[in-house]
Amino acid sequence: MVTHRSWHWLVALAVFAIVCVAGVAYGTIRIPVADVIRALTGEGDTSVIAIVRDLRLPRVALAALIGAGLGMSGGALQGTLRNGLAEPYLLGVSGGAAVGAVAAFAAGIGDAGWIALSAFVGAAIAVLLALLVARAAGRGGRGDPRTLLMAGVVIGAFANAVIMVALANAPPNTVRGALWWMMGSAGDATWQTVTVLAVSILVGGAALIYLARDIDVLALGEEPAAALGVDVDRAARTIYLLSALLAAATVAAAGLVGFVGLIVPHIVRSAGLRRHRPLLLGTAVVGATLVVAADLAARTLRPPAELPLGAVTAILGVPFFLAQLRKTA
Amino acid sequence: MASISLRKESVFLGIGALDTEPPSTPRKTQDHFSFFDRTTTVRRIRGVPQFNKTILEFSVFSVARCRALQSFIGLTLLLAACSPVRERARTALTDDFGDTIVVGQTPRRVVSLNPATTEIVFAIGAGDRLVGRTHWDLYPAAASKVPDLGSGIRPNVEAVLGARPDIVLLYASIDNRPAAARLRAAGIKTLSLKIDHIADFHRAVRLVGLLLGDSAKAATVSDSVQRTLDRVRSVTAGLPTPTVFWHIWDAPLITIGAGSYMSELITIAGGRNVYGDMTAVSPTVAIEDVIRRNPRYLIAGPEGAAKIKADPHWSATSAVREGRVLVVDTALVGRPAVRLGEAALEMATLLHPETAAQLSQKVH
Repeated sequence: MVTHRSWHWLVALAVFAIVCVAGVAYGTIRIPVADVIRALTGEGDTSVIAIVRDLRLPRVALAALIGAGLGMSGGALQGTLRNGLAEPYLLGVSGGAAVGAVAAFAAGIGDAGWIALSAFVGAAIAVLLALLVARAAGRGGRGDPRTLLMAGVVIGAFANAVIMVALANAPPNTVRGALWWMMGSAGDATWQTVTVLAVSILVGGAALIYLARDIDVLALGEEPAAALGVDVDRAARTIYLLSALLAAATVAAAGLVGFVGLIVPHIVRSAGLRRHRPLLLGTAVVGATLVVAADLAARTLRPPAELPLGAVTAILGVPFFLAQLRKTA
Repeated sequence: MASISLRKESVFLGIGALDTEPPSTPRKTQDHFSFFDRTTTVRRIRGVPQFNKTILEFSVFSVARCRALQSFIGLTLLLAACSPVRERARTALTDDFGDTIVVGQTPRRVVSLNPATTEIVFAIGAGDRLVGRTHWDLYPAAASKVPDLGSGIRPNVEAVLGARPDIVLLYASIDNRPAAARLRAAGIKTLSLKIDHIADFHRAVRLVGLLLGDSAKAATVSDSVQRTLDRVRSVTAGLPTPTVFWHIWDAPLITIGAGSYMSELITIAGGRNVYGDMTAVSPTVAIEDVIRRNPRYLIAGPEGAAKIKADPHWSATSAVREGRVLVVDTALVGRPAVRLGEAALEMATLLHPETAAQLSQKVH
């Protein structure tokens, strides 16, 4: 059994490495592999160096971080909520972040850093609201997961309404900027955004992995968890908040990239992982692979145009997921 | 959010370049994977721009009649040419993103990611230096020989870098800021321009001419466009000014406000924009309000006009009931570029057909 598991890990890491190499080697324009390698060491044509080192490398890194963040966020939420339909954007993250981004666009802010900050603040506010609403609605301070889901959905719907009102009469530049942002793209990756997201993912991911045992217990159900001596409400709230903030950090960096957080935990569980410590690590690797591959597809399928990353992740992920579903059924 | 959708053409719309119905020129499928090879081919072909003579006819007087600013820049260049290189390198200008561009060595490889600046580059005779353009740059015909780098808004920076430009001309829309920053970080000059008014066009011609090292030619282009506009204005002066509603897009209903050169075109052509009181470039309006304002003419591209005539809502306007829907060539009037004069001529001919003979006379 141990050999079986390590074989899975080996394959997953190998595929991830291949996808990353491909992400740097291929792009809109064709650059011979030898030139790519020379560009990596800082030699050769300056525009090739700029393409490889300033465009492709940070892009691949950012895509990997987004995938890892969304994968772990989805894995933790599905475990804690004991619901395979749970996903990182559930608690109003996407709606809140979009409101923040749209507000920035409407204010005429074009700088990617400020848009990211505005989106993150929007997402954080939405998540805190959802948690507060769920807590207030729960009887005797007990947060029922269903109340939480409901609160997330309602706040998301409210955010969508705000966006539509804001965009309905907005000038075309604002609408276009906001729409493109909502479709998700790793195209604006710089080493600065990569660093910020890397720190967030490391901290948030490490915290979730540290709490993995609590997730294991919560996944058994609230009563067994309480019987096992876990402060159910507090543990669950911490995990919700961490997962949502992890997702919010990815959204701030690259807009909405759907489907990854929903699908990746299923893929990893189908490989036989049940305990959340290895499961979360697995979702990070598989999520990163999926998003790097999707980003590569997004920028090479229809050059020189780019496809929205959020759509490509779903296009790549759904057939894979359906095949898995058929196998397990 | 799926309910909000923009047609892809509209993406370039309503902004500086209002063009709801880009002419559907058949294009050959292109090999996108070898920009390096293709650019060298293009440089060998050397497209020859074909411009309408009424717009670009060269006149000895045109240079002499340059506006003061242009003369000033010509003088600066003249002085620069006489002074050592370091003096010349001091000439710097600021674009609409607030970025500074130093006028140094004349760029040999130019990427233009705005249909209007592409026209300008060809007009000043630098078309053979273009190594990249947007998907929507269809004029002049020689532009189609320049590699298509995709969208001019949120451009693919990798494709642009792959064309190895010395300078990139960008449309100064807020969502182009990241691309401008990236290109500048890669050591490439960028000139980001917003062309909303006719004055912006003249400024764009001047700046592009200055940067590409041919201010005299730029002055000629600018002046020849202005002379055609002035001629149209002199013909329509004193005529009655019918109200005009310009139909840009149907869902949502978009027209043009005082912020657009198209509104200026209506005025020059002897009309009055019924939404000239709105300052936006391309405001969204309600059809009820259009009906209330009761414009004498509705102006639209061929597709828009067909929609207006087929839509029962529009028959509430007297313009539709009495057959005053005017069809314009969107490829001609949709861009604030070197054919502005021609566009004004077409508009004037539509609004005041009785002056057609007068308008078609050449100036001597």
